[in-house]
Amino acid sequence: MDDLDFALKYPFSSEAKQIVQNIHLTDRVLELGAERIKKALRGESKARVVLNQEGKKEDIASFAAARMILGFMKNTFLTNKFAVNESKVVRSHLDKEDKKTVERVAARFDIFPENRNNTMLLDLPTYVRFSVRSPYYRLVNRKLTNGFVEINDNDLRRLVEEAVRKHTEDIPVVRDPPKQVKHIAERIIEELPKSETTINAKEGDHPPCILNLLESAKKHQNLNHSARWYLATYLNAIGMGEDAITGIYAQLPDFNEKTTRYQIKHLRRKGYNVPSCSTVMSYGLCVASCRTGNPVRWHKLSESRKKEILK
Amino acid sequence: MRPEDLKKIKQIFAAYYEIAEFSIPSLEQREFGVGNVKKIDARHLDFANLSAFRTYLCNNTPLFVSHSAAYYGFPGATPMQKKQWKGADLIFDLDIHAEGRYGAYPKLDEIKEDLQRLVNDFLLNDFGIKREHITTVFSGNRGYHVHVRDPAYIALGGDERRELVDYIMGQGLNYGDFFRFTDTSPKKLMGPVPEEGGYRGRLARKTIQVLENKPTRLSRLFSKKEKRDFFVGGIREGNWSKTSLKLNDLLSRLQAVAESLPVSSVNTDAGVTQDLSKLIRVPNSIHGETGLVAKIVKDVDSFQPLRDALLESPTEIKIKFLEDVPELAIKDETTGFRKGDVRELSQPVALFYILKGSAELYKN
Repeated sequence: MDDLDFALKYPFSSEAKQIVQNIHLTDRVLELGAERIKKALRGESKARVVLNQEGKKEDIASFAAARMILGFMKNTFLTNKFAVNESKVVRSHLDKEDKKTVERVAARFDIFPENRNNTMLLDLPTYVRFSVRSPYYRLVNRKLTNGFVEINDNDLRRLVEEAVRKHTEDIPVVRDPPKQVKHIAERIIEELPKSETTINAKEGDHPPCILNLLESAKKHQNLNHSARWYLATYLNAIGMGEDAITGIYAQLPDFNEKTTRYQIKHLRRKGYNVPSCSTVMSYGLCVASCRTGNPVRWHKLSESRKKEILK
Repeated sequence: MRPEDLKKIKQIFAAYYEIAEFSIPSLEQREFGVGNVKKIDARHLDFANLSAFRTYLCNNTPLFVSHSAAYYGFPGATPMQKKQWKGADLIFDLDIHAEGRYGAYPKLDEIKEDLQRLVNDFLLNDFGIKREHITTVFSGNRGYHVHVRDPAYIALGGDERRELVDYIMGQGLNYGDFFRFTDTSPKKLMGPVPEEGGYRGRLARKTIQVLENKPTRLSRLFSKKEKRDFFVGGIREGNWSKTSLKLNDLLSRLQAVAESLPVSSVNTDAGVTQDLSKLIRVPNSIHGETGLVAKIVKDVDSFQPLRDALLESPTEIKIKFLEDVPELAIKDETTGFRKGDVRELSQPVALFYILKGSAELYKN
């Protein structure tokens, strides 16, 4: 395999970096980058088929372009999706490679398996770094001697897949990208899947500030700590159950069910009240002037008053 | 505690810290925490070198002093993100849980077996960590800390450390998966051999050990030497069928053996191992609840905390007991005390009871 084809399959390799160095981030490359992200959102893990040299180079550069877009968007949900998808694409390539090529890719992540008496051994620190937490890979079920874990060819491919995922989700923040990147970012946000299942709120159901937060959650945007806190106290106060609240937080990019449930339980146990409107204002979350004093009093307003506020 | 008692205690601590032998690799890259009321009242302290650290201890003399397992670019910076984490020692915390204020001390020997297994079987054998990278330290109260400073492990993240602890504690261990039936007729049960690494080999070795020492723990069948030897011979070849026991029955009987394999006293509640910014008692500093030194232990077998971790002092102090104290072997003497007893005890022993809250300095 020549370097160009290798780089096409493994756009994080040093070979790829070499090639990308001489390519400008043209609009076309950025568009291809955006498409790479959208593919991840659709869960399509098939690689593009590119035949000519220029096309191959563009495709390699589109990986860097996608990373730049994601580095600007700072949306953990998108980044995670992208990383998972890219690692799956890589895995589909790895499955067709010979052992030597798999080891060449592995070396990029400092994974250096050793072959001894027909068994492949990997050092323990590297193994725990890249093994997934499934029973099959749990250390307790493994042959582990003197700091080396026995693995097979398939395990190695899976470890490299995880290494690719970890590497890809680690994206440096891009503060001031070209204009085109900003446009693309806006477009991607619009195209993010709207969740149909759990968040079903229409205008008037909740005070505008809450509606705003629910909208953000729907779009899988991150909410900061005070926003999460405020939203949870509110949903709890209007009588929403733990499961339903968890369902809403599940839309957030860095959702962790255990943590979320713990925090909801904690909030209930302590009986925290919904913060007053002035506190919400101090959080920077107030978006209207309902003059109700406390957000939960929204529900006591007359329909006509609600309409007036929403105008 | 009365102020005058605290003052005396701090004098004793300060005198020790003037000459205490510390061995803190990369001290200047570590964060320190000190405490008087709690174990850590203040953290984010840093010291340029050992002499600055010693001066601080002598002048301020906290009851507790800890340092980070982590190495930082700027150990004194706050918040945590600004410290620039560079890596962390791998720490294991072994703890005795017991009822009452004095319940743990008679049991301190029990934990030594776990400590030996942790170091020898897991860290040295399975993990392949070199002995020179392992430091064993008495915690100063009810257990031991093991510090691993192997460069290959220093960069590991919290999840990865958690996986190592889970391994040591046998979390997710499913020994049934170590066995498989052959397609032959009659079926044979094939399993691990003693030479294998990890839990597989350990299960085989331990089973043989049980058969040789307490065979009836597995089955009365094995009290007969020839049946036992036949079975052991099979295990050595990985063939676990050389017994008249039903094979499924055998598997369930092995459960007790499997359950004895992990080290269960590793303390995971406090997240000591997987917390990348954990502060851990400074080796060779004094534990403020006991007055015992968190000694670096060279020979675990012979180490007796209530004899070897006491501060050295020729002087005696008169103290008055405020409550009944159960009999305890401390400094080669086994004594209990009654409320109201006034005794002249060697300084470290007196210190121990004062810090435990059972006694105070006696004033005429």
